[in-house]
Amino acid sequence: MNLAIRFLHRLEDSLLVFLLSALIVLASTQIVLRNLFDSGLVWVDPLLRVMVLWLGMIGAAVAAREHKHIQIDVLTRLLSSKILVPVQVLVDLFSAFVCLTIAWYGLTWIQYDYADQIKSFIGVSAWMLEIIVPITFSIIGARYLGHSLQGLLQYFRPNLKQDSTE
Amino acid sequence: MSLFTPFLLLLALLRTPLFVVIAASAMLGFYNSEIDLSVISIEIYRLADMSVLLAIPLFTFAGYLLGESQASTRLVNITNCLLGWMPGGLAIVAIFACALFTAFTGASGITIIALGALLYPALQQSGYSEKFNLGLLTSSGSLGLLFAPSLPLILYGVVAQQMSLDEPVGIDQLFIAGIFPGLLMLTMLAVYSMLQPGIKRQAESFDWATTIAAIKAAKWEIPLPVIILGGIYGGYFAVSEAAAVTAVYVLIVEVLILKEIGFRQLTVIMRESMVLVGGIMIIIGASLASTNYLIDAEIPTQLFDFIQQHIDNKLTFLILLNLFLLVLGMMLDIFSALVIFVPIILPIAMGYDIHPIHLGIIFLANMQLGYFTPPVGMNLFIASYRFHKPVMTLYKATIPFFLILLIAVLVITYWPGLSLALLS
Repeated sequence: MNLAIRFLHRLEDSLLVFLLSALIVLASTQIVLRNLFDSGLVWVDPLLRVMVLWLGMIGAAVAAREHKHIQIDVLTRLLSSKILVPVQVLVDLFSAFVCLTIAWYGLTWIQYDYADQIKSFIGVSAWMLEIIVPITFSIIGARYLGHSLQGLLQYFRPNLKQDSTE
Repeated sequence: MSLFTPFLLLLALLRTPLFVVIAASAMLGFYNSEIDLSVISIEIYRLADMSVLLAIPLFTFAGYLLGESQASTRLVNITNCLLGWMPGGLAIVAIFACALFTAFTGASGITIIALGALLYPALQQSGYSEKFNLGLLTSSGSLGLLFAPSLPLILYGVVAQQMSLDEPVGIDQLFIAGIFPGLLMLTMLAVYSMLQPGIKRQAESFDWATTIAAIKAAKWEIPLPVIILGGIYGGYFAVSEAAAVTAVYVLIVEVLILKEIGFRQLTVIMRESMVLVGGIMIIIGASLASTNYLIDAEIPTQLFDFIQQHIDNKLTFLILLNLFLLVLGMMLDIFSALVIFVPIILPIAMGYDIHPIHLGIIFLANMQLGYFTPPVGMNLFIASYRFHKPVMTLYKATIPFFLILLIAVLVITYWPGLSLALLS
């Protein structure tokens, strides 16, 4: 299990670096082609846009891993840690519920596009590009579930130092 | 919906990730309208239809890279040679350097981290009081928000373009509109700095030799603002192209030519910057869904009708808008504030005959104040961490700067010509 999680982390990190590098190379190639040779590759622009989406979604999954999502820190400053831990457990559970619901309904959308064999640009099946949305929302949802479990453990056995297993 | 709104608001205040709150509100709305919830994923996937978004990862990455390199030192050196000889010179150096750095790195608090360490001791030496230094550097952390190619300006354009207004909002137009309001803020702060008592004049007057040395040291970075700003303002680049050029240029200079960033560090920077991008993109995605619902349910129209019953003139509306945005800026970071509230406020403001581009400048100018408005302005905490000072000290130190910039914000709000003059 731990091995699989570590593999997922590695995969996400590498994809971020790879996609960003590819984005930079492709976008600048396109500029050179357009300005110097007055041409440009038709498939590059839609590909770039999809890559930005993938980058954003994978980045968001990593952000959930590290509690780096943008949030408001007003009320929580006033709460004592005794209340804060159970509140955080509930908040994480709520986040998990919302993300997993989005992922679940997203999958039905993907199924339709798969069944109807909808094509995207240059003949790639649309579902192959779209599937990143439910995949990353499942991962994010699972991570918040993990965070809430950790919070529960911490609440009931505050002295126990547990390793991160989300 | 109305029943759940306070519940969602409470969740948001209790540190629920904002994208979750936004997505949940859209889900509730669609659920009540009996629309299949797969619509949320479909709306989020619309991120792939928006070509301007390409600018976000590219500019963010370039900004992170600049922040990690020694570019900040070279920027301060060169500004110091060019402006340092004036009375109050070093403070003016700080103001201009911070503004330029913020515009290029995207107002994420990185300015205080990168430039604060250089400017703080230097300001101290030239006789400014500690209180002034802290106030200046904390409030300068968000200066430059109104200049191209700042990310919040781009984001306002992105959000406004989603709303299919009669009057299109071009990002290049926003870049032009921000020039005078931004300069107004810089000038007012510069004048205030010159009037500080007890400052020593810099010992050295303008010196050709050191200036040329500083220019030589920064010879690779100087063309960057020239190319980018010239390209954008001259109309040679689209925004996303400017972002690609910036990313490639910064990458080549800092990694290949100056070799200040190693390969290992580069992958770390790439990853870190994309985590931030992920946080922003998913909020934009979720807000595409919630905005769609808002418009379907005609909520801005209803709000406008309601507000119009109570406020009958533009002036009162603007005063209330300023107040509202100031509070908003204290509570929310600029990116979330933009994607959540622009879709609601923009149609209402247009009902009061406010130009969408002017509204963008008003919005951002107010938000800029919010960065260092107590109790929760983000830059207050970054500065507290960076300068090892209690947040209370920073609250007090920023008060005069807050008042000065507040005057600037009011001028910007009530004088549309300042923003719109260059456009017509």
